[in-house]
Amino acid sequence: MYTREAHPGENVPGHDSFGRKLAGARLLREETGICRDILVDDLAGTVHRAYGLMPNMTWVIDRGGQVAYKANWTSAANVEAFLARFLAARSQHPAGAAAVMYETEQIEFRHTDRTRFAEHLLRNGPRAAVEFERARELWARRAAT
Amino acid sequence: MGVENRGGAASYNYSRFDDYVAGGGDLADEAAFRASPRAGEPAGDFTLLRLGDGAQVRLSELWQTRPLVMEFGSFT
Repeated sequence: MYTREAHPGENVPGHDSFGRKLAGARLLREETGICRDILVDDLAGTVHRAYGLMPNMTWVIDRGGQVAYKANWTSAANVEAFLARFLAARSQHPAGAAAVMYETEQIEFRHTDRTRFAEHLLRNGPRAAVEFERARELWARRAAT
Repeated sequence: MGVENRGGAASYNYSRFDDYVAGGGDLADEAAFRASPRAGEPAGDFTLLRLGDGAQVRLSELWQTRPLVMEFGSFT
C-alpha cells in the first residue's frame, strides 16, 4: 500500500496531486524492485487513515476480512513467523483438541542502520536530512519533559 | 473534490517532516494506529488502484480465499 512520502526532500517531494502520488509509487517500484502488487491510496490517505497512519505498518487480514495481525512497524521475519504459526495452528490440531482463538499484544525491537538511513535521507534531498535532525531534537526535548 | 477535502489532503501530505513532528503529527499517527481495528475485528474494506495494470481492486476480493499481507510504505 503506497501512502505518503514520510521524509520528503528536494528530490522526492510530498504529494500535491494524485499524478505526483502515482509517480512516487512508480519510483518506489522501480528503485526498490518490489515484485508484489502495489495498491495506491487516494490523495487524502483514506485507507492509510483507516488502518492507523504509521509509515511502515504490516497488517495480515485473514480470509473473510478479520484482522489477524497488526504491527506498527514492519519486520519481515516477524510477519513470516506469525503466518507460519497462525496457519499451522488453525489447520492442524491434536486429535480431540479444538483450535481456540486468543489475542496477544507485544513489544518488539527493531535495529536501524543509521548510516543507511542517513544515506536515504540525502537521496530524498538535503533538506530531508536537516528536517530529520530537527525532529530528533524535538523528540529529545519531548522525552526530557 | 471540495475545499475541505483539499485541506485534508494538504495536511496529510505534509511537505516538512520537522514541522509535522513539531505539530504533534507523529503522536496523532500513533494514536490513530491504536484506535484502528483490533485483532479479531473486521478490517476496513476499500477499493484502490493497482499500480501494475491500473485496475480498481477491492481489498475484500484479495482476502476472500486466503489471508492478505498488507505492508504500508513510501519511497522516503
